[in-house]
Amino acid sequence: MKQLVRSQGFGAIIGVVAMLVVFTLIDFSGWWTNQTVANVSQFTAILAFVAMGQALVIMTKEIDLSVGSVYGLAGVAFITLEPALGVPGSFVLALAIAALVGFLQAIAVVKGELPSMIVTLGGLFAARGIIYVWTGGSVHNFSPAARSHPMTRLLGGELFGIDAAILWLITVAAILGLLLWATPFGNRLLATGGSRESAESRGVRTDRIKIAAFILCSLLAGFAGILTLCNQPQTHVTLGENMELEAIAAAVIGGCLLTGGRGSILGAILGALIVVSFRYELIALGAPSSWYITFIGAVLIVAVIFNQKLARFLGHSA
Amino acid sequence: MTNTHPLIQVKNLDLHFGAFHALKNVSVDFHAGELIGLVGDNGAGKTTLIRVLCGIYAPSSGEVFFDGKKIEKFHPKLAIDQGIETIQQSVGLCDNLSIARNFYLGREPVKRILGIPFLDFAKMREKSTRVIRQFGLRDNVSADDEVERLSGGERQSVKIGRAVEFMNRVVIMDEPTNHLSVREREHVNELAVQLKEQGLLVIYITHDIFQVHKLADRVVIMENGAKVADASTDAMTAEELEEVIRQGGRLVEKREAV
Ligand SMILES: Nc1ncnc2c1ncn2[C@@H]1O[C@H](COP(=O)(O)OP(=O)(O)O)[C@@H](O)[C@H]1O
Ligand SMILES: [Mg+2]
Repeated sequence: MKQLVRSQGFGAIIGVVAMLVVFTLIDFSGWWTNQTVANVSQFTAILAFVAMGQALVIMTKEIDLSVGSVYGLAGVAFITLEPALGVPGSFVLALAIAALVGFLQAIAVVKGELPSMIVTLGGLFAARGIIYVWTGGSVHNFSPAARSHPMTRLLGGELFGIDAAILWLITVAAILGLLLWATPFGNRLLATGGSRESAESRGVRTDRIKIAAFILCSLLAGFAGILTLCNQPQTHVTLGENMELEAIAAAVIGGCLLTGGRGSILGAILGALIVVSFRYELIALGAPSSWYITFIGAVLIVAVIFNQKLARFLGHSA
Repeated sequence: MTNTHPLIQVKNLDLHFGAFHALKNVSVDFHAGELIGLVGDNGAGKTTLIRVLCGIYAPSSGEVFFDGKKIEKFHPKLAIDQGIETIQQSVGLCDNLSIARNFYLGREPVKRILGIPFLDFAKMREKSTRVIRQFGLRDNVSADDEVERLSGGERQSVKIGRAVEFMNRVVIMDEPTNHLSVREREHVNELAVQLKEQGLLVIYITHDIFQVHKLADRVVIMENGAKVADASTDAMTAEELEEVIRQGGRLVEKREAV
């Protein structure tokens, strides 16, 4: 319990509870329907993948602005390469493309000693540009055969009456949580973000840690794109646009500090839940959809202040 | 010295930080089983010199030999693998991590489950606190507490404990007694002598010549990035060496003018 309270995700737990109470009070009948719960959890699962990857990168004191484009690029690759490679083949290649983007950006950051903000902003534009060129701006679909392929169903359908995306999220989150909290790699990743100099002086190869974090982040974003398209196998050029902002917001709401070294996987997931819930509920309540961005901004700022006060109260820096 | 060839040999080392000339043609030998006092005023270049030895900085020119072999690549990991353990000044601890996690950072003990290396938390907690307690960690501080919450002395005790746990062939202590109480200070000084008697090379950095003269076999004095004296403690008294430090700056300038 003490561990939980002191973990970075604790603020997000309080946030989720508070949000659910408020939504229940103002819109009980609209919020607690099967339809709403199913949609919100589905969207949350997708965003949570991207947010978890973002959280890993932020924990190393870097940032990845390219995740929305990588999400789109992997999705487009998965659909357009399928006729040639089949579902499993295009799945692997789409993930490989995502990993390659992450790797190239990481090399520029680590070896070129460039700020990740700039490098991944470049990555955001470059990957989006490739999507436009590749698709020629047109919409691509899966063939009926590809739609009914077992792998497509395993990634995009339902298992035991639950959206596959949610089951995948639980599985991957558990693995990432263990990786971060209970392995030497996780210890070194947090150390790299906490104090790169100190980690280096203990023999940690912080360059390699950062490269691994960027690759993981791109892989998770790519996987989220593939999951989305397995569910609705249709690409468009704007796939994943602005997702980087939602993912960063989710990670930060979930307790990740942009100063590095602090954050949690659970927090990123809960942060994603908060972002998605606000989007969904505002639209459900009839607010113009454009207001949602403003709201997320407000939630983000409130969350940062709240996490900071909470951290101070619990006795560690924010 | 007892050994024929030096364990660490530094030859004509120069290091520039941009336009700043931090190490000037430094040559010095260190032997196994020696306790060396590395002394000099603040800013003399002591920390910079030992950060080359432990792989943090690469020299601009000059050579370093370890056990007779020339060092080609400088990285802390390589130095650690060769058996150089360092109590760093001002770096070495990650505030966001617990004591146990800091203690084993980079060399975490693992338990394999299905071949996957998981941190051995029980060992990390138990061993780190047992070692650090000897150097002034209070009983109410646990291995799970973040380093951020520790006092200066407690932070230092974590670094010292860690060096003891991993000591191998060389232990470098960069102003190790900073923030420590008198009793803990004595403990660290005894430790330095013990390590030396076990055959390790101990490099003890301080700006207090009187403190280190009592412990050391040899004292190396630095000033303005250059070595200005290198003498056995049998050959020179602390007072004489202090005089050298006082004169040091002038000596360097004289030598540079030549
Ligand atoms: N990373 C660095 N970049 C620039 N200058 C440095 C750096 N590290 C040390 N210096 C400078 O080098 C000089 C020697 O520093 P240092 O080796 O820390 O001295 P000492 O340990 O003897 O007190 C100082 O003038 C310091 O400001
Ligand atoms: Mg110093």
